[in-house]
Amino acid sequence: MKYKLSITSLTSCSGCISSLFSLDIFPQFLERIDIVYFPFLSDNTKIEEHDIALVEGCVSRKQHINQLKNIRKNAKKIYALGTCAAYGGIVSLNKTKNIEAISKYIEIDGIIPGCPPPSNLLGDCLIRIIENKKIILSQKNLCFDCPLRETSPIKLDIKLKSLYLDMNKKVKKNEELNCFLNEGVLCLGPITREGCECICIKEMIPCEGCMGPISKDFTSNIINFLGILDLSEDIKDYEGLFFRFSKPKIKR
Amino acid sequence: MEKVIDMCKRVEGHGNVKIFIKNEKISNINFQLNIFRGFEKILKQKILIDIPRIASRICGLCHASQNIVSCKAIESIYNISPHENTILLRRILMIGELIKSHSLHLFFQSLPDLLYISKNLPNIPSLPELSQFDNQLTNKFFELIKIGNDIDRLFGGRAIHLITNIPGGHFLQNSEKNIKIARKYFQKALENINYIIEKFINLFKKLTPPKLFQIPNPIFMSLHNNESFDRYDGDLIINYNNENKIEFLLENYSKYFNKDPELPGINFSNEEIVVVGPISRYNIMKNSISEELKARINHFSNAWEKSILFSNFLKLIEMNIEVNQGIEIINNPILKKKSVPLILKNIQKLNGFGVVEAPRGILIHHYKLNENHKIEDIKLFVATEINIPIINEMLLKFSKDLYDMTGDIELIKQKAQMVIRAFDPCISCATH
Repeated sequence: MKYKLSITSLTSCSGCISSLFSLDIFPQFLERIDIVYFPFLSDNTKIEEHDIALVEGCVSRKQHINQLKNIRKNAKKIYALGTCAAYGGIVSLNKTKNIEAISKYIEIDGIIPGCPPPSNLLGDCLIRIIENKKIILSQKNLCFDCPLRETSPIKLDIKLKSLYLDMNKKVKKNEELNCFLNEGVLCLGPITREGCECICIKEMIPCEGCMGPISKDFTSNIINFLGILDLSEDIKDYEGLFFRFSKPKIKR
Repeated sequence: MEKVIDMCKRVEGHGNVKIFIKNEKISNINFQLNIFRGFEKILKQKILIDIPRIASRICGLCHASQNIVSCKAIESIYNISPHENTILLRRILMIGELIKSHSLHLFFQSLPDLLYISKNLPNIPSLPELSQFDNQLTNKFFELIKIGNDIDRLFGGRAIHLITNIPGGHFLQNSEKNIKIARKYFQKALENINYIIEKFINLFKKLTPPKLFQIPNPIFMSLHNNESFDRYDGDLIINYNNENKIEFLLENYSKYFNKDPELPGINFSNEEIVVVGPISRYNIMKNSISEELKARINHFSNAWEKSILFSNFLKLIEMNIEVNQGIEIINNPILKKKSVPLILKNIQKLNGFGVVEAPRGILIHHYKLNENHKIEDIKLFVATEINIPIINEMLLKFSKDLYDMTGDIELIKQKAQMVIRAFDPCISCATH
């Protein structure tokens, strides 16, 4: 039996959809499902009863809430595709807009995090979904998976000075890469969910948290994290570093 | 007055067609975008080095262009030029993005309309019908989407929302292995593109493009490098007709067009209605196209030249040009040279400008700093925003008469959707 599937975009950049199209398994995925609603590539505008709904993008308009309720009414399972749908995403940096994750308005059956979701994770999740299995996400933080963890474990007294590593110094001195935090560079690895295979860190870019928080109580995680950090004045005053991809519960 | 709203289908993002009917006549018809995310506001509060990775999130299809144009604007503020190998890397990233973006539009969004028009089908083919129309063609498109994606993953660290490219340079050291893989990808891409070009010629050369797709009095604008094809570097040109052209430096753009970041839309000084994108690039740079490609273009009659439907074929032509450029870059020894990003030391200018030709046309970022070097104003000029007035003009032109003749609103909706789709609007970019 082929599952009936819908893909709805709310306020987004379409990056999650673009990731979906580029998966190795995408042609096979298309063969195994019946698309009932996906305006990107289908002319159907009505959402009728179906099995699986993927929703990408955050909620930014009243109309989105009605749309979500309609999907909930018609779909057996709903999954938030990407960090905007799961946590609010980067548009929540705009303080003049009321941006929310979809789970604020409807009950959901799972999330596929990432901005955009890493292809291995997305492929695995989609296979699980069409095999009617639950999505299983890691409950560990990025440090658990980090290639720098063994060579340079995090110290407990960190003075943070910058957002980027000074590559010139590093390359000139031909130094090995250390944990970013030990280098005084902000890395959100300790409070971010693993699952991205540390692609940024492997390219010498610290984690900016696009996979979203490990636990629901993100604010407590941040407070605990801040407990071991001594932030420079510049970083202290700079908004949208910790809550870049996950909308804070309190007002910015 | 009656208002008919129809949601846009088979386009990237959310848009509507709004039709106004008064006394049983169409009084107006518009392509409308409802969401504005406020990226100009978000970016205004950021420090310069942080902007490109946020700007990339404006669009998941044009992410490389958004990231690169932002880096260019910041580099102009610091008055630095990155190493040549960074520029080569950026060019590769833009080629990967173009292959993927054009292939997605051509296959999923445009081909159903082209088949419907040319084969007189009873309905526009659905996705399963489209996939089965020609298995080999379908596979070639899927492969191209994947190749474009994987080229950006190899050189950008990630396939979407790149991480390696930053203002002043890039982090990735171009390994021998990556270069070898990319060479294979480009060769495969060229093979697929040439196959699709031949297929398109056979399928559509005999078709006379319907009048509704004709661009009235087109004024083309694009980036050009001595009138040759270059999406990364060059000056701007507005081509009123082949005799009347204005060339200008990016820094002087406001003489010709401008915008209020609080409001949607881009205003041209003489209220010209300008077209950007593949059809403009072609019209401005057609003399530089190789004889081999010209011969392929010549299969189509002159009636195609000003039809927006021709964009579809021109996309394939520019994919061919760019993949060949990609192969040249991959073979350039400079690409392998190791470099570290330049340090952003002293701000030299209070206005930073960046321009590239994104897959759908001109993309400009302008960052204005105050005397304390804090960002005072940000303006983003996006291709789809430039194209909206010409889309609306074309919609009004065909729909009034057609509605008078038929009174069939469903027909108007269907045709309006087709015209909009032919422009390949990037609604994510336009709703920044």
